[in-house]
Amino acid sequence: MEGVSYQRFPKIKIREVKDDYMKFELRETDASMANALRRVMIAEVPTIAIDLVEIEVNSSVLNDEFIAHRLGLIPLTSERAMSMRFSRDCDACDGDGQCEFCSVEFHLRAKCLTDQTLDVTSKDLYSSDHTVVPVDFSDSAGYDVPEQRGIIIVKLRRGQELRLRAIARKGIGKDHAKWSPAATVTFMYEPEIHINEDLMETLTSEEKRSWVESSPTKVFEFNHETQQVAVVDAEAYTYDEEVIKKAEAMGKPGLVEIHAKEDSFIFTVETTGAIKASQLVLNAIEVLKQKLDSVRLSEDTVEADDQFGELGAHLRGG
Amino acid sequence: MKKMGKQSGVAADYSALHELVKPHIDSFDYMVDKGLEEIFRSIKPVQVFDSFENKKLRIFLDKPEIFKPLRGGSKGMSEALLPFECRQAKISYTAKFTADVLLQYDDGPPIRESINFGQFPIMLRSKLCHFRNASPQKLVSCKEEASEMGGYFILNGLERVVRLLILPKQNYPMSMVRNSFRDRREGYTDKAVVIRCVRGDQSSVTVKLYYLRNGTARLGFWIQGREYLLPVGIVLKALVDTTDREIYANLTCCYSEKYKKGKGIVGTHLIGERAKIILDEVRDLSLFTHIQCLQHIGEHFQAVMQGLENENYSVVADAVLRAYIFVHLDNNYDKFNLLIFMVQKLFSLIDQTSVPDNPDSLQNQDVLLPGHLITIYLKEKLEDWLQKAIKSLEDEINNKNNKFNIRDVNNVKKVIEKGSTQISLAVENMLKTGRLVTQTGLDMQQRAGYTVQAERLNFLRFISFFRSVHRGASFAGLRTTSVRKLLPESWGFLCPVHTPDGEPCGLLNHMTCTCRVASYYDSQGNMRDFLKVRTSILDVLIGVGMTSSLPKLILAGPPVVLPVLLDGRVVGVIPTSEVEKVVAYLRRLKVSTASLIPDDLEVGYVPLSMGGAYPGLYLFTSPSRFIRPVKNISLPPEESQNIELIGPFEQVFMEIKCPDGGDGGTSNDFPATHEEIHPTGMLSVVANLTPWSDHNQSPRNMYQCQMGKQTMAFSSQAIQFRADQKLYHLQTPQSPIVRTSAYTKYSMDEYPTGTNAIVAVLAYTGYDMEDAMILNKSSVERGMCHGQIYQTETIDLSEMGRSSQGKRIFKRNNDDKSLHSLIDSDGLPYIGQMIHPNEPYCSFVNKVTNSKFTSKRKGTEPVYVDYVAVDTKNKDDLEKVNIRFRHPRNPVIGDKFSSRHGQKGVCSQLWPDIDMPFSGITGMRPDLIINPHAFPSRMTIAMLLESVAAKGGSLFGEFMDATPFGENGSKSQSLVDELGEMLKIKGFNYHGVEVLYSGVYGTELSCEIFIGPVYYQRLRHMVSDKYQVRSTGRVDQVTRQPIKGRKVGGGIRFGEMERDAMLAHGAAYLLHDRLHTCSDYHIADVCALCGSILTTSFIQQQKHAAREIGGLPPGRAPKKVICHACQTNRGMETVAMPYVFRYLAAELAAMNIKMSLQLSNATGT
Repeated sequence: MEGVSYQRFPKIKIREVKDDYMKFELRETDASMANALRRVMIAEVPTIAIDLVEIEVNSSVLNDEFIAHRLGLIPLTSERAMSMRFSRDCDACDGDGQCEFCSVEFHLRAKCLTDQTLDVTSKDLYSSDHTVVPVDFSDSAGYDVPEQRGIIIVKLRRGQELRLRAIARKGIGKDHAKWSPAATVTFMYEPEIHINEDLMETLTSEEKRSWVESSPTKVFEFNHETQQVAVVDAEAYTYDEEVIKKAEAMGKPGLVEIHAKEDSFIFTVETTGAIKASQLVLNAIEVLKQKLDSVRLSEDTVEADDQFGELGAHLRGG
Repeated sequence: MKKMGKQSGVAADYSALHELVKPHIDSFDYMVDKGLEEIFRSIKPVQVFDSFENKKLRIFLDKPEIFKPLRGGSKGMSEALLPFECRQAKISYTAKFTADVLLQYDDGPPIRESINFGQFPIMLRSKLCHFRNASPQKLVSCKEEASEMGGYFILNGLERVVRLLILPKQNYPMSMVRNSFRDRREGYTDKAVVIRCVRGDQSSVTVKLYYLRNGTARLGFWIQGREYLLPVGIVLKALVDTTDREIYANLTCCYSEKYKKGKGIVGTHLIGERAKIILDEVRDLSLFTHIQCLQHIGEHFQAVMQGLENENYSVVADAVLRAYIFVHLDNNYDKFNLLIFMVQKLFSLIDQTSVPDNPDSLQNQDVLLPGHLITIYLKEKLEDWLQKAIKSLEDEINNKNNKFNIRDVNNVKKVIEKGSTQISLAVENMLKTGRLVTQTGLDMQQRAGYTVQAERLNFLRFISFFRSVHRGASFAGLRTTSVRKLLPESWGFLCPVHTPDGEPCGLLNHMTCTCRVASYYDSQGNMRDFLKVRTSILDVLIGVGMTSSLPKLILAGPPVVLPVLLDGRVVGVIPTSEVEKVVAYLRRLKVSTASLIPDDLEVGYVPLSMGGAYPGLYLFTSPSRFIRPVKNISLPPEESQNIELIGPFEQVFMEIKCPDGGDGGTSNDFPATHEEIHPTGMLSVVANLTPWSDHNQSPRNMYQCQMGKQTMAFSSQAIQFRADQKLYHLQTPQSPIVRTSAYTKYSMDEYPTGTNAIVAVLAYTGYDMEDAMILNKSSVERGMCHGQIYQTETIDLSEMGRSSQGKRIFKRNNDDKSLHSLIDSDGLPYIGQMIHPNEPYCSFVNKVTNSKFTSKRKGTEPVYVDYVAVDTKNKDDLEKVNIRFRHPRNPVIGDKFSSRHGQKGVCSQLWPDIDMPFSGITGMRPDLIINPHAFPSRMTIAMLLESVAAKGGSLFGEFMDATPFGENGSKSQSLVDELGEMLKIKGFNYHGVEVLYSGVYGTELSCEIFIGPVYYQRLRHMVSDKYQVRSTGRVDQVTRQPIKGRKVGGGIRFGEMERDAMLAHGAAYLLHDRLHTCSDYHIADVCALCGSILTTSFIQQQKHAAREIGGLPPGRAPKKVICHACQTNRGMETVAMPYVFRYLAAELAAMNIKMSLQLSNATGT
């Protein structure tokens, strides 16, 4: 294609921000940039998750690995993650991960003494660091169910006990999905929809309506009063080309033209709750920058040039 | 509508599951309730005569009783023995079996003595099991599964099921053509009429009526492994005191000169001549009267009839007739009539007025049930034991030395009791090994393979063991494939889909989900009184115009009248014009609850035809017939539900329509009288679980039936209390979104087998070609398809090394502190402990010698200790311990997965989330990617439907009904439309496709991708259990080549075909490397003078001492090799060769063949 990359200044326009949800537009850049951002958000923004579990007593029905696995998947509030150290690079503790710079300790003690089953949930995890705690969904979700107190780890019946010590560490989603802060990150190209009004006029109102209804999502609207078809929500378009096929089936090819804007993306970000959606985007940009820096700072040797080619020179400020 | 709604929270109903194992349990109950009494009654009393005392002692058995299983065996403890204890302690679920033996001196009053027959195996949930009618709550409290169905035995801790076996239909004379009949003796043809007669106690005797080329017939029956052949005339005369004229008239009654060729003619003019030949044959032997015939039989059979050595001939002859000829009948007139009928049928077969019956068709087959097998086996064992007891009594009497007194009851009892406990043991061993140890063969086709272990790999496999029906081991070796053929007669009884591929294909079938087996119990669970049933049927028949057969009465034959056979007894004839009405009437009585006619009476009406099956009205009430319910639509609908139970014999001649539409090609002349309840009734339980199997290519459904049974699933709910050798367990199972009605009916949610995975169908990165599939690594990390294998090791100190040096106990060796991290102070491992290969996991000490032992873990991977169960039966020391290990088995590259449509694949790559394609709108990433090429040739349309339906179902939050042949709504809308509409409502593409973006580049994929949830199963074949790799390692002692076998670290054979491939590539160096260098490379010394490689030997050199003193390293002394034969080292050369070559030379030398090598550029010559 155009081939040569040139320096551009992408713009972000935030449309909607909630704690665990965000929608924004990314403009004036290309797919590689958008996808890099997506990939970083999913796999390379660090969070904290339980990584090491020492089980003292486990007489529950689930086996040790199962419980350890479940603990690992519990999202922990990870605002601190960016500033924490990876336990492998920690100089305070020889990398075996038990110091304040790289790890957070959790304790869980639960024993069922009644005839009613006891739900052991993420709320039963006691953290040594008040900034790193299991994510609390009860208030943010809006639907606050009384029995829903945290994420259920295991259910205990009378006499069963679970006692363990867990160490949470910083990590990234690339290593294990439990460190991924993103539930969903997706982007779509912004569609550009042009209705050929002249052709549209040749349709009867019945045809217009059936054409509008051929789209599974509400992209177009048929106004009964004006008998006009208008685009109401271009972004609802899923690129399914149903309307184009419909137009062809009606013998009106070219009734509508839909293009994807090559340089404009609409991002949807949902987080697990480990960090706020807005923070996730910022952190992702930060991580992306660091990655680019590391490329830039890698010796401008022949190998580096070989490796990155023109891009290497570009990064070095070309 | 296709939606099934959200799942209700109602407690599961397991009655449908219990119904599946009912044939097993009912038959065992029969044995307990009636069979035992029945065999005790039919065992002939034995007697012994003491000539010194001049006393006769008659011994017979009475009052059999089997108790409920108790702990502590026979030793008075009254605590119930529960099945879970048996499983864990590896003992058998058995109960005490006792009976009274009656000793009668001369004709005095019998003396009763109780006798112990040992511990008898008890079937779970049978009448003697503690769990009979136990509620799910009780079962759970007894550490069982809530849905425990029973039907199997626990023997040495293993669960074994008796396989259902096909037998020839009982009490039905079957005409057969078989080449082996010709080889009986000179003059025999290949045609015969065969009847398998079954007594009340289920023991059977097969009688064959052979046709001879000279026009007569011979009756053949087996006594103690030998076939005896009697001219049919003699038997006819011996049975009944009759005249030649009567026999002639009886035989020829089915022919009249009036008939020409027409419908239903079975007799021809030849029949009269043949009857004459039969009678002449008897006359030629100068046997004229009834008595003479009896004398003749008695004379010839006295030698083989045990216990009748001193009786006169006619008594012997009576015994022969009673014990071997038509044993299902006890009246000689009935036997006479049946024999006449069989002769007529045989002649009609010869004259080709009727066709032979097909012994491979289900129409002429019955089933062997576990209880019946045990009953007949037990009978034989009891008879043997009585014979043995008599023998030893006689020995004692004849032994002059000891003071044995036959009058002393205790003395006698002591002799008799010898080996009485072996009886139950024999039954237990039969169930353990599946092998019949018998002299007579019990009229069975096979000796081994009667039981199988019921593996609980997953629930589908487990349930299939109870529903499987085997054709017989003798057919497995047959080269002809006709027995394996799927015949239309088995419709509705055996599942056409659920049969394995390969070796047992068509021989191992499975009953359909609606198929049942007629039993001794009626629908209320009461024991049937067959005598009453038969008389009431007879009353009904006579009431509707049957002429009943009476002695001396000669009845007409087809086509005027049809013979009526009730359970193999000719009860009369019915006018042909009336018969259809009679059949309809009988069917009405069957359905109505008020009548005494049983609901599973088989009304086999074989109509008159032009040379078809031999006509008649064959009624069967006997148990162990296949039956299935159908709707009788010829009756007015208000009469109950009109569900009639039909058998495979009658089904062939019935008009049954199927509600899935269409007339099935039948003409309007024969309107349907019956209707299938639901088309899915023709499928087995497992086949019924395949969603929309009617949209799949049929072999795919067969594959799915196989794969469903090897899925790693939620195998058991009581896993904590089990000690299975190996158990596969899926950690995170899910309930399928798309399911059939059978899924709910059989509470399959108790044992889910897979995961609803989001499946995208696209070729992505090429790692999904050739049935490979890409798994989403992140999904796997989140727990998808996680699982483990449980493996139990039993350590029984009393069994291992029964040394004289004292007892061993579990104890930790406290000297060795390194053990402390692995083994607790009791000598057993910590629960949850990880154990690496070759680490000890339990230790024990010999009490006397104080020597210590440890058990070391074998294998190549670390495992966790899951559970330790100890046997607390022994109060002082632990003797037996079960240690269960847990092997984690999370998905890795190389593991096998499959959908429910016979689409299996191997995981070839685990891509992280970010590399998976994603949907721009929802952000959805697939869990699994399969290649589109998996579809065109396999045509598993149902998998595509499942994807679309599951997508719709998950959007609406409802389960989807995927019952095959389902009624498709009222709007005659196609299924696809219905599903597509659901997606459209929720804003998705009608066809289930979505626009995906490449996860790597972020660009739109060039076409829309079919994506949706499909229920995926993880198969038990996992690389971790199969990989085999080695560089160097153990070699074979003899050949010095690498050994084989994965367990011992062997290599993989590089065989001849592999060699050929290498040669074809010209890869000579590689070939040399594989076959020589990396195998048995050897440098041999060869004597160039004599060419031998065997006569060389080393000569020790004595100069070593001097060198070592010099402080120099002992450099390698040049080896001095000489040839023994030539006594010189002149011609010694070294040659590289495979070591096996040397071995070959040695072997040849052992046979006096010398192998000499000629070296081409030898220096010595």
